[in-house]
Amino acid sequence: MSGTALRSNDLALGLIGTLAVILLWETSVRTGLIDPAVFPSPSLAIAAASERLTARQLGENLSWSLARVFSGFALGALAGVLVGVLAGWYRRFGLVVSPLVELLRPIPPLAWIPLAIIWFGLGEPSKFFIIFLGAFFPVVTAAYQGMRSVDPMLLRAGQTMGLSGVPLLLRVAIPAAAPDLATGLRIGWGLSFGVLVAAELIAADRGLGYMIIAERNAGGSVGVIIVGILLIGALNLLTDAAIGVAIRHWVGRWHGS
Amino acid sequence: MNARLARAASSLAVIAVLLAAWELAVGYGLLKAYQFPPPSKIARGFVELSLTGFPTGVSLWTHTGVTIWRVLQGYVAAILLAVPLGLLIGALPVLDKLSAPLIVFCRSVATLSLLPLVIVWFGAGELTKVVLIGYGCFWTMLSNVIAGVRYVDPVLVRAARSCGLQGPELYREIVLPAALPRIFAGARMALGVGFMVIVGAEMIGTIQGLGALIMEARTFYRSEITIVGMLVIGLLGFLISSGLAGLERVLMPWAGNLDQVRR
Repeated sequence: MSGTALRSNDLALGLIGTLAVILLWETSVRTGLIDPAVFPSPSLAIAAASERLTARQLGENLSWSLARVFSGFALGALAGVLVGVLAGWYRRFGLVVSPLVELLRPIPPLAWIPLAIIWFGLGEPSKFFIIFLGAFFPVVTAAYQGMRSVDPMLLRAGQTMGLSGVPLLLRVAIPAAAPDLATGLRIGWGLSFGVLVAAELIAADRGLGYMIIAERNAGGSVGVIIVGILLIGALNLLTDAAIGVAIRHWVGRWHGS
Repeated sequence: MNARLARAASSLAVIAVLLAAWELAVGYGLLKAYQFPPPSKIARGFVELSLTGFPTGVSLWTHTGVTIWRVLQGYVAAILLAVPLGLLIGALPVLDKLSAPLIVFCRSVATLSLLPLVIVWFGAGELTKVVLIGYGCFWTMLSNVIAGVRYVDPVLVRAARSCGLQGPELYREIVLPAALPRIFAGARMALGVGFMVIVGAEMIGTIQGLGALIMEARTFYRSEITIVGMLVIGLLGFLISSGLAGLERVLMPWAGNLDQVRR
């Protein structure tokens, strides 16, 4: 009981802090302390955005960004789990794959942009590839590490109970590695999202990243740019929280909460 | 020791086989030389890049130096701001609660999405890149400093209290050393963020730096130079992260099991 009271107290304080900063921002623009053309207040930014953007445009850019990041992440994470788990489980496969992953992993996903354009042209596939990489490397590393650090005792116990081969992998080893997988997926999501925005800034003709860089190239309103940035941040925060909840639910099946 | 040696040998063998297969595949026309420049061409690209440079006159070492210098400026500025602020917020729980949602939000804002705004404010020059790196490093560092101070093992604090330590003395003697490993881990993460950001930031509005190099090389259909640049970026990132991890082990031997604790 006192626990929930404490919780809501924290929440109220957080809300007060956030509102105070927004208010400070608004008033320092209103009083002329900050030039509204350079850094418009929240109300001015929203007014400018609603004037220059239709809801349809915004929705279109938003859904393009979301579709890109979800598809890239889903396939990258799937490939990462598959390769990482197999490399951790089958020693021979691991010996072949892990040097390659170790070699390529330190290259940040954004550094692949030029090569992606060389391979796939300027269209959707190159952006998909970059986001795919953003998810793939953290997930593959985490999956491999997780598989390698499964408690051998668990595996032996599973074998004693008559499990071996693929059932042992699916029923014992993967659940045991689930917390590592979860961490990797979470990091992979964050990276995919950061990479998405960069890819849209550098080479795209749709999406939220494109929306804000186009506004600045057209010499448009700073307000639109600010709204776009805040929207991207909120989207990242919300999806990350949703994925966090989903993952906790999944891992909680074996490891408690 | 022998097992490790055998593992390293097999890794090298895998990579060597792959490189040979790649070279042959291009030689026999299975892969296009422009899309997959063979290792021999990449090696020649490396020599050209380090001697004559690309664009001519700007050598690989200049690009690398420019990139490192940009990252360092933003990184150091971020650390200098984030550490004192984080120590302060971490020491005062009320301040922590007031600022927590804002810090989480600012951390979620993709650093590169600020690029258009920062260009409007500071133009497309050096300052823009340094500010972006600073932003990315700052929030990573700040949240780690706060977490480091806030989540010091309460048993430690209680033990120190019963030994008569309190107030600033308790903070200095117990909380700070206990928070240091997390702070250092934050510094390592922040540098990683800095390197992520710079590669993207250099792809717009500059011809110097490794990010600009790989993008320029693509524009001129020099894919082998792009790959050399990517490898140098990867090597740099690898050296820095393993160097900092080593430094961490030497400086803070008591931090040994931090990775397990943090879970």
